[in-house]
Amino acid sequence: MTVHFGDTFANLMPKLMNSLLTVLEITGLAFCIAFFLGFLIAIGRMSKSKILRGFLLCIVEFFRGTPLLVQCFYIYFVVPALFKLAGGSVSITAFTAGVIGFGLNYACYMSEVIRSAILSVDSGQREAGLALGFSEAQVMLKFIIPPAVKSSLPVFGNYLITMIKDTSILASISVAEMLLITKNYAASTFQTIESYTLLALLYLVISLPLSQLVRVLERKLNRTKRA
Amino acid sequence: MEDQVVFRINRLKKSFGDLKVLQDVNMQIRKGEVVTIIGPSGSGKSTFLRCLNLLEIPSGGEIYYNDKNILDKGFNRSAYRKKVGMVFQRFNLFVGRSVLDNIMVAPVKLNKVSRANALVEARELLSKVGLSRFENTFPDTLSGGQQQRVAIARALAMHPDVMLFDEPTSALDPELVGDVLRVMKNIAASGMTMIVVTHEMQFAREVSDRVIFMADGYVAEEGTPDEIFSHPKNPRTKEFLSRVLKEEE
Repeated sequence: MTVHFGDTFANLMPKLMNSLLTVLEITGLAFCIAFFLGFLIAIGRMSKSKILRGFLLCIVEFFRGTPLLVQCFYIYFVVPALFKLAGGSVSITAFTAGVIGFGLNYACYMSEVIRSAILSVDSGQREAGLALGFSEAQVMLKFIIPPAVKSSLPVFGNYLITMIKDTSILASISVAEMLLITKNYAASTFQTIESYTLLALLYLVISLPLSQLVRVLERKLNRTKRA
Repeated sequence: MEDQVVFRINRLKKSFGDLKVLQDVNMQIRKGEVVTIIGPSGSGKSTFLRCLNLLEIPSGGEIYYNDKNILDKGFNRSAYRKKVGMVFQRFNLFVGRSVLDNIMVAPVKLNKVSRANALVEARELLSKVGLSRFENTFPDTLSGGQQQRVAIARALAMHPDVMLFDEPTSALDPELVGDVLRVMKNIAASGMTMIVVTHEMQFAREVSDRVIFMADGYVAEEGTPDEIFSHPKNPRTKEFLSRVLKEEE
């Protein structure tokens, strides 16, 4: 048996580039959903209403307590089935199911990050804002959330990297992302070693610079904190 | 005009759980007065000051500000706080915002002052507190004394009718206290109504019109600086003063 890396590279790489675009689209959309929803959940979980807090806690625990892949299956297969059962109809593409699943799941994790970041902002910021005449909502938007977001940027960065890699599970619901493309290519050409090695290397090429970026960011934030 | 009462405080009470911090505080503050509040730690001075701008909500009593009870339902807290400046022990400058931005953010957002006008005024205030050089620096690179002076400028930028100072020099290194006190003296000289919780006996003595000694959640004694420092009547005041003045020597 011989290996044909040059051949694999020439044929598989263009396909992978196409599917990389899909991966980035899903990640981009899902991350935006996760960020904004995460914020809403975080703020809702600090609300005065016990019912809202309890409800959101249940949601968060549900999404953190079940596997991401199961959630995507649920959205892709079960939700349309439920609609059908109720007499309606809805069609969800694998792409959309992936975006929604990743968005909701990561929103729950990120809400915890945002919540603890907000709680760790010095209470003096809030008091100074209130004392000047700002409302609680204005104080939150102007003086609490910006430093909270800044301090959690490295964590968000790491979630983004994890999300890019996690999209590979969407191969199971037939999203044309990089793993599925590789699997199909390997199956039809028998270039198993080359295909999956190339895929792994491609993931590394994407995630290593991003990790490095996060590390730089982390160092920069620590430096301003010390000064 | 001279005797116009700004604050009339009746039977003010504040408890945290079972802990009664303010038992029964009664006080009047007149326009233009500089009142210092002294007393041992735990006597309720800071809590009292924080009740005045509703950072703590009193458990009972009344606080009349220009004859309006600020504890009434529907009282406009934001409008009130705009007129009552506060300076904190730990400065509480906004992180991630430059010195200028710290001073300008409230006038621009709350009083709808144009950025250009706010900038002119922020610079004037900075030169008043002696920090013109630092207008574009960030709070975390300034010393405590500098941060506190920026915090004072930030409060003044709202053109308050009253300034509350909550132990403004307690978190400072001794050599930085003087600069802050000098700024406060200038504000007092400008006719501002000031309520200052402080451990700086020298300042209380020199600058205030009236000194209030608090102990155990009550006003134990009040009078002119001379009455309090030279002829204290209450044994608690005597004991407190002999202790702190000995430390100062």
